[in-house]
Amino acid sequence: MITTVTIFIPLLGAILMLLLPDDERLMRYSALGVAAVPFLLVTYVYFAYGDDLGAAALTQDFTWIESLNVGYRVGLDGLGFGMFFLAALLTLLAIVASWDVRENLKQYYAILFVAEVGMLGVFAAQDLILFYIFFEITLIPMYLLVGIWGDENRRQAAIKFFIYTFLGSTVMLAGFLAFGIIAGGYSMDSLSAGGGLSRTAQIAVAAPILFGLLVKVPAVPLHSWLLDVYVSSPTSTNVVLSGVLPKLGTYGIIRIAIPLLPDGVQPFLPYLAVLGVVNILYGAFVAFLQPDLKALVAYSSISSLGYILLGAASGNAVGLNGAVFQQVAHGLYSALLFILVGVIAARTGTRRIAELGGLATRMPWAGGLLALGALAAMGLPGLAIFVSEFMSVMGGYTTFPVQGVLGALGIIFSAMYLLYMLARVIFGPIERPAYEEATDAGPVEMAAVVPLAVLLLVLGIFPALLVSIQRPAVEAVLSTIGGS
Amino acid sequence: MALTGETFVALLPELVATGFVILVLLVGVFGEKNVGLVVGLAALGSLAVAGSAAGLLATGFSGSFFGDGFVVDSFALYFKIIVGASAFFAVLAAARWSGETGDAPEYLTLILSVVLGSVLLVSMRDLFGVFLAIELATIPSYAMVAFDRSRRESAEGGMKYLLTGVIASSVLLYGIVLIYGVSGSANLSDVAGTFSGDLSPVALLGLVLLISGFAFKLSVAPFHFWTPDAYQGAPTSAAAFLSVAPKAATFAILLRIFLEGMPEAARTWTAVVAFLAVLAMFVGNLFALRQRNVRRMLAYSSVAHSGYILAAFAALRGDAIPTAVEAVLIYTAAYALMNMGAFLAIDLVGEDAKSFNGLFRTRPALALSVGVFMAALTGIPPFSGFFGKAWVILAGAQTGSVVVYVVIGALVVNTVLSVPYYFGIIRNMFFEEPIAGEPLPSTAGAVRFAVYTLAVATVLFVFFVGPLSALAGASGLL
Repeated sequence: MITTVTIFIPLLGAILMLLLPDDERLMRYSALGVAAVPFLLVTYVYFAYGDDLGAAALTQDFTWIESLNVGYRVGLDGLGFGMFFLAALLTLLAIVASWDVRENLKQYYAILFVAEVGMLGVFAAQDLILFYIFFEITLIPMYLLVGIWGDENRRQAAIKFFIYTFLGSTVMLAGFLAFGIIAGGYSMDSLSAGGGLSRTAQIAVAAPILFGLLVKVPAVPLHSWLLDVYVSSPTSTNVVLSGVLPKLGTYGIIRIAIPLLPDGVQPFLPYLAVLGVVNILYGAFVAFLQPDLKALVAYSSISSLGYILLGAASGNAVGLNGAVFQQVAHGLYSALLFILVGVIAARTGTRRIAELGGLATRMPWAGGLLALGALAAMGLPGLAIFVSEFMSVMGGYTTFPVQGVLGALGIIFSAMYLLYMLARVIFGPIERPAYEEATDAGPVEMAAVVPLAVLLLVLGIFPALLVSIQRPAVEAVLSTIGGS
Repeated sequence: MALTGETFVALLPELVATGFVILVLLVGVFGEKNVGLVVGLAALGSLAVAGSAAGLLATGFSGSFFGDGFVVDSFALYFKIIVGASAFFAVLAAARWSGETGDAPEYLTLILSVVLGSVLLVSMRDLFGVFLAIELATIPSYAMVAFDRSRRESAEGGMKYLLTGVIASSVLLYGIVLIYGVSGSANLSDVAGTFSGDLSPVALLGLVLLISGFAFKLSVAPFHFWTPDAYQGAPTSAAAFLSVAPKAATFAILLRIFLEGMPEAARTWTAVVAFLAVLAMFVGNLFALRQRNVRRMLAYSSVAHSGYILAAFAALRGDAIPTAVEAVLIYTAAYALMNMGAFLAIDLVGEDAKSFNGLFRTRPALALSVGVFMAALTGIPPFSGFFGKAWVILAGAQTGSVVVYVVIGALVVNTVLSVPYYFGIIRNMFFEEPIAGEPLPSTAGAVRFAVYTLAVATVLFVFFVGPLSALAGASGLL
């Protein structure tokens, strides 16, 4: 019950927002209040039930379409819990960070809340059709958020995003439907370890499912929608767009493709690891070339997502734990960096790296936190990303040595472009007199980023806080694929 | 064959429709243009048709009458409900406009006559009865399309519709006669006996002509040329209603003819239908992409949707038949909600795609409703259209036939292909600035009520799809 309540409270919030009078303060505080509820509920679940999330707990199961054996089946397990938590947290922080949204504020929050329903639902769905529906519920809200509140390029960016990901998810749906028809139902529980499908059938079903999920991530040859969308979006949309949405794809791979179709995914795993490495290296190289700070962060995000693919492909405990952990760590650091880019752009009036410089003196807090985020992104020990990238690379190396070594190289490349960026943005002379007057991040902006920085630190020092929750579920996945 | 009380019960929806046709016409003649009363009666009449069919369905009534020429089963009753309910919304949408033309009784009589033809049609088990019922539903619809005398396009559309419609009827009749010639009977159960094994050339010709005639009526490419002109010219309520109710009934009877009349020839007709389905999807969507006029866009979109529904017909093989029947039932209901809503919104906004610009800022609730219709027509969950498409894919995936897989692949490709034009409307509404100085048309409360009700139903369809599929499973067909 608590799962369902958490998922659908934002929907009530969306309706509430539309009914509110046009008072800006009232709208901002009510949105905060609404977004706090799922976050508090998830936090409560963490402390009350955190130890028994090996299999889906807090479940609810209604038959919905009897003839097809489709049900409203939700529950939380260790694989999804971290992202369930992160989706609630990042929506809350997105609302804190929504200072650059000024027009049609109530509609903005309402649409964001509808997206939150989908984001929370995906990580709790225990039925393939329900998973797909939650997956798609995020689509139109994201399209609208980018298309209405984005910058000049927003229209093209929004429709490109929509068509790409809709194509992917439609293909994925065809895979789901075929899977359910052959296996006779859509409950993830009953489909575990292939649901009785032959190896050939599993491969035939796994291919479209993986394709759809990889578009969502995006894995590199399928990524061309990403840059326009990330760069055009308002800061608060970036937070969920980069922090949560890619994980719809990676979570699908870890929660659905691998444990439900183990034999079907098997032949694809080496290529999945290659895709991961391509993401890591390509993202890092292209990030190096970006003149725009936001584009750099976007490519850094692509690069970092590659570790999730590499870890997931490894099929061993270390790699898989790393992948699940990296989903959360990536969300924390990319949201942190996107918010800070938003802060810096708003204060200095530019996002061009060449025009920035010397932020450490003008904006010590924002600059310092940017440095922290960048250090996290390059996998500095003591910060959360280190744990998961290390585990993903180790796991990847065990199974696919070549890909593992190449993935490890990515850590070096990421250090290069991030340090180069820091050198130009944080240090050095103040390039433009225009922002000599620029002031440091204010209390609201700090409130949006400090929780992320703290979590990066805490999870970096005590990874067990999250790993202990996900480990039993990861072991359950491993048992279906016969790994250890 | 005696007329027993049971016969009258079986004919209840048809009798109700007939009664209200006469009543509305008479009240119009003697009632001194009391538009409110006429509209009220017509709305009541369409609800009564749907209600009586629902009542029969609830009591589990079934049987065959008139020498097995007229059959009542839950399959037929289901479509009678769809027809009656969509007529209700058409009457609401027509209320104010038809009052202003001064010909409300005549126009509403035409709507109810189409209802009568359509509810008769779905119960027919005799090919000549099928032909008569189709004509009873089609002839008033020519007049409906041409009814708006203030616009030249209306007469033009009506004329084109009439000419092609007459050709279609003769093609259909020719096909029926050939089938009758081969079988020696027009009753579907007798036809089933002769349509087995290898078809004789005459039987094949009859079948092809029959399907072609139906393709005309269903505006399936390459027999769709009347559709954009007719829907553009027709009064909005007529386009909304005709694209939904008679079409649903025609799909229903085609399903009955195939499954009851020629199940042994399934290899042949699924192949023909598969070809037509793919063609209709591509033609409909590719032409819809080019339209700036929302009426024409929706007309081509209806060609594409006919293709999607025909894709379910192509899946009528072996084990997949129950799912394919469910797909047709669910799709037609879903389509009725979203397509009527999309058409009726034209009356509230305008027929130029640009008139939707900035609607989100000026009338957010309306923009939200139109957004729901467009998303549903695209097939995005959790809206009604998604379930239609999902069931078609399901049915296709169960057939295990490569040809059907190709059709399903075409459906997936076309779904993505249709995104730009449906979402073009959404983009105009949400992303563009309102065009200054262009007032929205003044709106009647009844149309607004119809649009909002349909939008809510399109959203809440997700809760009805379970019971609907259960109903479809017990459809009585097969």
